[in-house]
Amino acid sequence: MKKILVLMIIVLMVVPMVFAAGQAEKKTGYEIVVVPKDASNPWFVRMKVGVDEYAKETGLNVYQKGTAQIDATLQAQLIQDLIAQGVDALCVVPVDLESLEPVLSQARKAGIVVITHEGAGLENVDYDIEAFSNAGYGAFIMDNLAEAMNFEGVYTTMVASLTNGSHNEWADAGVARQKEAYPKMQLLAAEKRVESFDNGDVAYNGAKELFKKYPKLKGVMGTSSYDAPGVARAIEELGLIGKAFTSGTGMPLDNAALLESGVVQSLTLWDPALAGKAMIALAVKVLDGEKIEGVVDLGVDGYTNMKFKKGSKTVLEGEGWIVINAKNVYDFGF
Amino acid sequence: MAEGLLRAVDIYKSFVGVQALKKVSFEINPGEIHCLAGENGSGKSTLIKVISGVYSPDSGYMEFGGKRYEKITPIDAIQSGIQVIYQDFSIFPNLTVMENLAFNSELADRRKIVNWKRMRKIATDAIAKINFKVDLDAMVGTLTVAEKQMIAISRALMFNTKLIIMDEPTTALTKREVRNLFNIILKLKERGIAILFVSHKLNEVFEISEKFTILRSGELVATGSTADLDSEKFSFFMTGREFQKKTFVPLNVSKEPIFQAKGIGMKSAFHDVSFDLRRGEIIGITGLLDSGRTELALSLFGIRPIDHGAVLVNGEEVKIINPQVAMQHKIGYVPEDRLSEGLFLTQSIADNIVISEIDSLANKIGILDHKRRSEEIERWVRELAISTPNPDNACQTLSGGNQQRVVLAKWLALNLDILILNGPTVGVDIGSKHDIHGILQKLAEEGLALLIISDDLPEVLENCSRILVMKSGSIVADLDAAKSDEKTILSYMM
Amino acid sequence: MKSTISNTLQKLSRRNEPYVFLVLMLLCVLIEIRSGQFFSSNNLVDIASAFAVPGLFAIGAFMVIISGGIDVSFPALASLSVYATTKFLLDVNYQGGVWLAILIALALGAILGAFNGLFIGYFRLPALIVTLGSSSVFKGIMQGALNSKQLTVIPIGMKNFGTSSLFIAKNPVSGLTSRMPVAILAFLIVLFLVYFLMRYTMFGRGLYGIGGSEISAHRAGFGVRNTKFIMYVMVGMIASLAGVMRVCMMQQAHPTNMLGMEMNIIAGVVLGGTAITGGRGTLLGCMLGTLLIVIVENSLILIGVPTSWKSVFTGLLIIIGTGVSAYQVSRMNRVRSVETVAKEVV
Ligand SMILES: Nc1ncnc2c1ncn2[C@@H]1O[C@H](COP(=O)(O)OP(=O)(O)O)[C@@H](O)[C@H]1O
Ligand SMILES: [Mg+2]
Repeated sequence: MKKILVLMIIVLMVVPMVFAAGQAEKKTGYEIVVVPKDASNPWFVRMKVGVDEYAKETGLNVYQKGTAQIDATLQAQLIQDLIAQGVDALCVVPVDLESLEPVLSQARKAGIVVITHEGAGLENVDYDIEAFSNAGYGAFIMDNLAEAMNFEGVYTTMVASLTNGSHNEWADAGVARQKEAYPKMQLLAAEKRVESFDNGDVAYNGAKELFKKYPKLKGVMGTSSYDAPGVARAIEELGLIGKAFTSGTGMPLDNAALLESGVVQSLTLWDPALAGKAMIALAVKVLDGEKIEGVVDLGVDGYTNMKFKKGSKTVLEGEGWIVINAKNVYDFGF
Repeated sequence: MAEGLLRAVDIYKSFVGVQALKKVSFEINPGEIHCLAGENGSGKSTLIKVISGVYSPDSGYMEFGGKRYEKITPIDAIQSGIQVIYQDFSIFPNLTVMENLAFNSELADRRKIVNWKRMRKIATDAIAKINFKVDLDAMVGTLTVAEKQMIAISRALMFNTKLIIMDEPTTALTKREVRNLFNIILKLKERGIAILFVSHKLNEVFEISEKFTILRSGELVATGSTADLDSEKFSFFMTGREFQKKTFVPLNVSKEPIFQAKGIGMKSAFHDVSFDLRRGEIIGITGLLDSGRTELALSLFGIRPIDHGAVLVNGEEVKIINPQVAMQHKIGYVPEDRLSEGLFLTQSIADNIVISEIDSLANKIGILDHKRRSEEIERWVRELAISTPNPDNACQTLSGGNQQRVVLAKWLALNLDILILNGPTVGVDIGSKHDIHGILQKLAEEGLALLIISDDLPEVLENCSRILVMKSGSIVADLDAAKSDEKTILSYMM
Repeated sequence: MKSTISNTLQKLSRRNEPYVFLVLMLLCVLIEIRSGQFFSSNNLVDIASAFAVPGLFAIGAFMVIISGGIDVSFPALASLSVYATTKFLLDVNYQGGVWLAILIALALGAILGAFNGLFIGYFRLPALIVTLGSSSVFKGIMQGALNSKQLTVIPIGMKNFGTSSLFIAKNPVSGLTSRMPVAILAFLIVLFLVYFLMRYTMFGRGLYGIGGSEISAHRAGFGVRNTKFIMYVMVGMIASLAGVMRVCMMQQAHPTNMLGMEMNIIAGVVLGGTAITGGRGTLLGCMLGTLLIVIVENSLILIGVPTSWKSVFTGLLIIIGTGVSAYQVSRMNRVRSVETVAKEVV
């Protein structure tokens, strides 16, 4: 009896299931496939918008194909299928770097051009595209915060945790940018960096404490996508709208209400549609046999001035950040 | 038998592979104190559970208050006035005395809402019935065993009770508490309540009960009036063996003492204790629970070191500051509570035997010599007659008496000079008790020096050459066992 | 008279609550000294509002631990039922009040709690194993079947409830305002109901009894299985209510945001003197312990300690708390053995 019950539990625990999706149409020219982490995440739905737009503009056989679920194994299988299908180029947003290496190596051996996005650590690629350099993006967040704060006052920075690599690089770059460009602003000496643990509630309660303890505090530079929205809730509740400000990464639709009500002036982000286009554009250049060196112009907004990351021969960094505010918040569909 | 209260007729009960009860018949009259005796595993608890409806018998029937039951349900049993007090008393250690007392009747009345005033009244009434005084708001877990037992009895009396069954009620009680319990049992008897109590202690059976029933391997071997019973018969019925009492006579006592205590003391426990112990001698130390006897034993083994006086082993002063030092000087200690201190119950019998000599069984590079290990185990299982089909079984499969033998084996394997035993036969059945006494006497003859701490006066009288009586932390009498009796010892103890 | 006072004091000193209360007070004074903000009206309101959800969870965890069980699934249970509720109401474009959300979540919570109760109460599987398992099941359903992601828009009724306040506290010096959420009422109501349940019903006393000795409870005539089952259903409902409150107050439903809270909640309950082995503890102590944890979690910036020390601090609290209870147990045993000996002598 008990055994059956235990079995039942096990079966129930293995509930997560697999769907299959995707389609392919035959067109002329290069066949280039974009493989995102999955097919249904709004982020990649937005990427598909860019990919489809590119296909329409150029008439190339370019399409996006994703798995039903974010799963490294499923993604690897999908890529193997595409290799067998003999596509010309693969543009991949990897789920898991390590488990993808062997598959990408197969692809390259089969003569397929491999471009990745957010896969800076990968070896078996032709090139990897990053929307921006960490330093550039951090400075950009600071520009936004500074503008909201009218270029003066005390601010501090918030990261998911002190061990999070990119968040801290962004925050460092933001502080550096302030020192160089906004002399009337000061970093809060007593609390230079606060952690939010990627949790909106922690960001909210932490911000409340900060504003209570440091009445002079006027701005919080967020990094994680939970930071600015959490801080904004605190600003609103404490009655500090118009007196205290925050900026940072944030998804448009998630924060529509905050942006429209004016608690937050602007958030920063990169547009997956543009990233998708940029990957394809780069793939085309490689297939056309163009030499990729120096400053690369992919003809896509924010990706016109791409440079190799310091010390890397494969990673290209753009300036593909965008500002989201009350005006454009509904333009992205995610 | 119209006036009989309970009659059990030809009860059979078996568990998978075990015939726990075979054709057991006996009866109890109102107001009768009836003792149910038998060695461990003889079926006493099973019989109780059949009577109280926890188990239904395979065949046979019962008559209770003139009504015949092929099988009785627990509810029927309670309603006909049978109350069982289990060995664990079925109490809630985390709740107050008041709640423990009132719960059962509140539940029986199917109440949903708690009325604390009513609970207090129920509880007050319940303890008044047996003149039991206790703080109703005390947490039961903080009470003594005897007090817990009183709570269980008070609770049992709240119903229209005609028969109270107690499963081994005296095992965990001190002498004084047993007295008290017996007084209460006598009071209950006056009120016409019959008592069926399980015990395998000879003196208790004789002292309190009018009738007895003895089981052996699930079979009824004797039932009748206690007046017709004597201790030889009792032991025989219990074990099926004839025992002759063998009073210890020290034979080859060494001239020089192997162990000497000179004015030793430990703050707030005992003081100014001196005695000599020679090879071949068995010294008994007895006294009330607070007399300091246990502390003395612990300090001789270094568990709670002395702070006064000196200890000499073989004439040389030794500072026994911890058990390791004691063991280096060939002193061993068999604790009072073998279950928590002396044995690893879940480990095998074999491992328990060799655990303390494991170092000597290893060869030079530290690898265990399996052949020597099994030889050792075989030797001790044989010498101490540990009854087990397989020494690889867990220790907890053994009866109390056999567990005690394992503890002994563990120490004897070390080739000791001095062995201290605290309550060597507490909770051990009569057959094993006899065997253990025999083993101890034989060890003394072979030249070991033994120190037995015990409040079982017949035990010290029978097995020791000298008896030291302790009271309030000091030795008040040093008696020659052969010229002493229980009364003398008691007069010094009290 | 004197003796009754000293008697009462002695009894109090054997309980955990006074110690937790003392530590709590010391901590508050420390925060006040370091920040000058602790006893300001708006900060107290902030703490109360941060306490509502953990407080509800702690009440549920308290009941389970008292009964001798343990539940590590309540964050997942709450997440699943509130997520499903919110998503459903969004899908049907519900425009009404919050009551429907509460009702649906309570119903779901009861079902999910019954799942735990069935395996623990009726099939007698160990509570830790079952709730570890059900925790993954609940998470699995959320991620697999419901394909969960953050819901940043919640039904208008829930949103209004979450932002409405009983009163607004304004700090006269800094001008900062904080609102006392209406959600605190949900907490207070549950607190009162459970207090009554645990103190004045046979069901509640039965939970204590089962926690003390399941066999004794059975022999005394408690329906042990039913009692446990119903308790897990109740705890599921309380956890789900906490989930709804959390989502309303955050104005978004995040599927994983509450996961991982179980550790600190259970720690708070134990800190407040509830024995992890069951049977002993008071709701008051449980609330004090939880409050202590919540204040530590939400005051490190005020004290001026880097937030990365948060886990160190809560860890220390747990060690101190359990240390104090262990010390008390050992002291109680000592007192007991002395008393036993004393009785023997008389
Ligand atoms: N529930 C049970 N299942 C299987 N065997 C049992 C059970 N209860 C008792 N026994 C066996 O029945 C015999 C009698 O046990 P018990 O009545 O407990 O003896 P006593 O109380 O006299 O020590 C023992 O051999 C014991 O192992
Ligand atoms: Mg028994």
